[in-house]
Amino acid sequence: MIFFNNKTKKSSSGTLGKVNVSFCLSRKNAWLLWLCQCLNIAVIALELSTWMLAIISLSLAWQALLLHNSRDRVKTRKKVSTVKHLSQRQHNHHKKQQASIVSPIILGIFALLGCIAIAITAKEVGILASMVHLLCFSYVLKAFELKARRDFYQLLLLGLFVLASSLIFRQDLVFSFITLILLVINLSVLLHFFSSEKTFASNIKVMTVILGQSAILAVVLFLVFPRLSPFWQMPRAKSAETGLSDTVKPGDIANLSRSTKLAFRADFGQQAIPNYSQLYWRAMVLEDFDGRQWTRIKAAPKNSAKASASNTFSVNLNGSDIVPLNYQITVEPSFQKYLFALAPAIASNEGNDIRAKSDYTLMSSKIITQAKSYQLSSFLSLPLALELSEHSRTVNLHYPEGSNPRLEQMALQLQHNYPEPQARAQAVLSRINQQNYSYTLQPPLLINNSLDQFFFDTQAGFCVHYASAFTFIMRASGIPARLVTGYLGGEFNGTNTGDKLSDKGHLSIYQYDAHAWSEIWVQGKGWVRVDPTGAVDPERVNSGWSNELLQQQSNLNNELFSLYQLKNIALLNILRLQFDILDYQWTKWVIGFNSKQQYNLLKHWFGKMASWKFALIIAIALVISMVMLMLFLHLLNRSKSKKKPLAKWQLVYQKSLGQLAKQGIVKPAAMTVNNFSKQVREQYPELAIVFTRLSVSYNRLCYQTLAKDEQLKLTLTMQQQYQDFCQTLKKQP
Amino acid sequence: MGITTLFSLPKSVSVFFHKKFERWLAKRIPNSKEHQLNSRNIMIYPTRFGLSYLGFVVLVFLLGTNYQNNIILLFSYLLASLFISVMLHSFYNFSQLRFYSMAKQQGYAGEALYFPIKIFAEKTHYDINAHFTDSNLNSHVEKIPLCLQGGEEIKLSYKSAKRGKHTLGRVTVFSEYSLGLFKSKTVLGFGHYAIIYPKPKSLVVGQYQFSAQPDEPSIESYQTTHSVGTDDFSELRSFVRGESRARTAWKQLAKGQGHYSKHYQASQGQLQWLKLKDMPSNDVETQLSYLSFLISELTATNQAFGLSLSADISNKSMNIPPNVGVEHQQACLTALALYS
Repeated sequence: MIFFNNKTKKSSSGTLGKVNVSFCLSRKNAWLLWLCQCLNIAVIALELSTWMLAIISLSLAWQALLLHNSRDRVKTRKKVSTVKHLSQRQHNHHKKQQASIVSPIILGIFALLGCIAIAITAKEVGILASMVHLLCFSYVLKAFELKARRDFYQLLLLGLFVLASSLIFRQDLVFSFITLILLVINLSVLLHFFSSEKTFASNIKVMTVILGQSAILAVVLFLVFPRLSPFWQMPRAKSAETGLSDTVKPGDIANLSRSTKLAFRADFGQQAIPNYSQLYWRAMVLEDFDGRQWTRIKAAPKNSAKASASNTFSVNLNGSDIVPLNYQITVEPSFQKYLFALAPAIASNEGNDIRAKSDYTLMSSKIITQAKSYQLSSFLSLPLALELSEHSRTVNLHYPEGSNPRLEQMALQLQHNYPEPQARAQAVLSRINQQNYSYTLQPPLLINNSLDQFFFDTQAGFCVHYASAFTFIMRASGIPARLVTGYLGGEFNGTNTGDKLSDKGHLSIYQYDAHAWSEIWVQGKGWVRVDPTGAVDPERVNSGWSNELLQQQSNLNNELFSLYQLKNIALLNILRLQFDILDYQWTKWVIGFNSKQQYNLLKHWFGKMASWKFALIIAIALVISMVMLMLFLHLLNRSKSKKKPLAKWQLVYQKSLGQLAKQGIVKPAAMTVNNFSKQVREQYPELAIVFTRLSVSYNRLCYQTLAKDEQLKLTLTMQQQYQDFCQTLKKQP
Repeated sequence: MGITTLFSLPKSVSVFFHKKFERWLAKRIPNSKEHQLNSRNIMIYPTRFGLSYLGFVVLVFLLGTNYQNNIILLFSYLLASLFISVMLHSFYNFSQLRFYSMAKQQGYAGEALYFPIKIFAEKTHYDINAHFTDSNLNSHVEKIPLCLQGGEEIKLSYKSAKRGKHTLGRVTVFSEYSLGLFKSKTVLGFGHYAIIYPKPKSLVVGQYQFSAQPDEPSIESYQTTHSVGTDDFSELRSFVRGESRARTAWKQLAKGQGHYSKHYQASQGQLQWLKLKDMPSNDVETQLSYLSFLISELTATNQAFGLSLSADISNKSMNIPPNVGVEHQQACLTALALYS
């Protein structure tokens, strides 16, 4: 809104200023500005709705048309001017003129309509998105009324703001890099306005150098400038949720598995990473089954949940000597609340914004809109919930009767044959393993998501199929069971990829690692994890995706560089892994850099300190970096001026001065050439004539505009004069 | 720098500060033919755009803080430090330039005078602008978009309708390179002044007869004998059909004063004196304008003449003995310009 008001105000005052009338951009500059606008809009295009994009591209096309037409106008003008023999000056003026002026009334109506449209859709797309719409809309319209230099400046600043606000939505390394490049381009357009004689490429080079120099101070500011808490509440980005959802139907996770996007990373530091088959990253526990789909129970009794969760851990911790597994998890923005952990785990930092739930999952108190890190300690060998509450038992035994009659019947049979719960589970698993079941990303469609149909007819499915069928059988046979979703495994990326995964590195867990498994509750053992996928495709559980699956995935995605291809070409795979490391460091140190990390870093460097010391350090750091910057620039400047060779005549004059200095006549630096020759005349009349000639030639060469050949001639004469001077000097006693 | 901020102050105060500033400036950057830019004489301050840019950076910082978004914060820090490095670049672009200019220029009233300023650069500089500091002069801003290593020349024009000696004060040189965030500025004093001659006004058809200076002993009479063979201009007469077009007085024709032809007569070896009091007008300025015209006409036709502006012959500055040539013309015209 502010921008829009500004715009209308400024445009009215712009016409009043008398100096501004003559403002016009050169053609090249105007086109560059246009290009720059297109790029800026492209960066944020993903956040704009289709109709807005259509309007914007229409405006940009219109702009391009105006620019193009103005060239034709220049051409006709040129002809006229050559006929009329107008003066050179006028001619130039016309050449520059842009005259891309659209009637302000049309523009005003257009702007009004756009604003109304934005206001109408505001509820639908959310406040933030409509603000972004408004920003982009005014950015594009502003280009129609470049009447004064300040309009040009405003347009550029608006462009930079568009860039900055595009960073609200994405912050990963690639995107930040693109934004940086666009920043360079934007500023180069501004630079080009002041040095239009140079090529745009060299301007980009200069701008890169300037930004490089600024980066020193920027990094210092980033490290030492205090991180402030938000001043006021801002509208949140309303992006599509990614990753797992809290309702799961068979086939859901198979769809998710086509995505190669990163879900989160885990960093174990120096500790050994557990085996692949241990890496069940728990995200959600789904207990409510309606016969078709599994849902997370939202209205869990809060108080009891918290109490029981904390109780379990404190008891366990006191009585055990198990070494906890400490690791850090950095989640990518998912626009949901759930977090990941290897259960059972406790979050060791920031207790207030991570909630541990009774089902051993973790929740963030806020929706995760940008990368977030948290520290966890897991006790993998400890059992989960040795006691089962009555409420929990009924929930986990419930199933809609008659929804899958054939499975129910089989469950009763199993209950009869295998009274022991774990034996019963094993029986189901061996059935899956021995019969002709297959694990596939493209399971045949089930009518009404019927588990019966899957288990007895199609016998092909992805993890959710197996897990939900298994859980259903368990419940139907009287064992409390539930479905757990999360991720399985992860790709190790580190310095040492040998047999022992103990060195520095991290695990990257992608969306295609999404998984579902079941848990059954066994007396005395608590919740026991059972993964029926292991029965049908052991490779998936033990080391990750089989090649067959990867191939299926690449066929489904139709991507130019599918993961399957990437993994099979060694060089590309190395590059991919290297980039992943870079991106991880970026996420960890730049995106995730918070006040606590800042404090730790400064403490690490300077030791523990009082707040005044802290302030002092900030001040000193700023000053030092400023001085460094100045020194750097000064040296840069110095070396350039040194490189430039002296002209020949200057050398000759310097030589003659040297000769005179030997004789004891030294020219003070402040003295002009003429005054010095006068002084010589007074002190050494013998030298007067030759030296005055020399001085006169020198003065002429320095202060007169001479043609090249004239200059050359005079330089030669001067050399001759210098020789005369030397001879006269030799004759001196 | 200080002047612009003083608009709101009472006049006496602003005048006081202005004078102080002038005095400070005279000490800091004394008048000289030649100046070299360095930290002593460069003033550098943010432009309006620079200030709004800073506001913009704060806005981006707020955006970053409110979203707790480190990348936006980094973006704003980068922009903020860019502000500082641009200041340094702005300074280095401007420094080390050398300027050289002659103090004096002369010309007729109503004609544009050009004060050439030579610029010597040891490296490439961008966007150098210059104009006279005195805003009353309405000086046009002369711009050099690219000042290559070596020399460039900038010409400041000055135009006045009043004769006399005009001191033009200082020259403002400024540059907004590299991003228009900062203005590097200096006010150089070359001691520029202009001698404005009275505007020539043509005299037609024997309105004025040359007279010899009666009291002057004609010592330098030998000089007239030097004007060998050339016919001396005597008067303009109305054009008669059949006359040679080579004799047409184009200047008068072009001014729309009628078609005249020039008539010449052989030098009589008689000394000619131009006298102010003999000019056919009551107004001194008009008389001076006639004299200005006659001086240039006589010089163009290479006739010797003297100039007498006051009755007192002993006054050397008011009476210039007869002579020929461009230097003589300039001396006479200068005397006219300075006549009071």
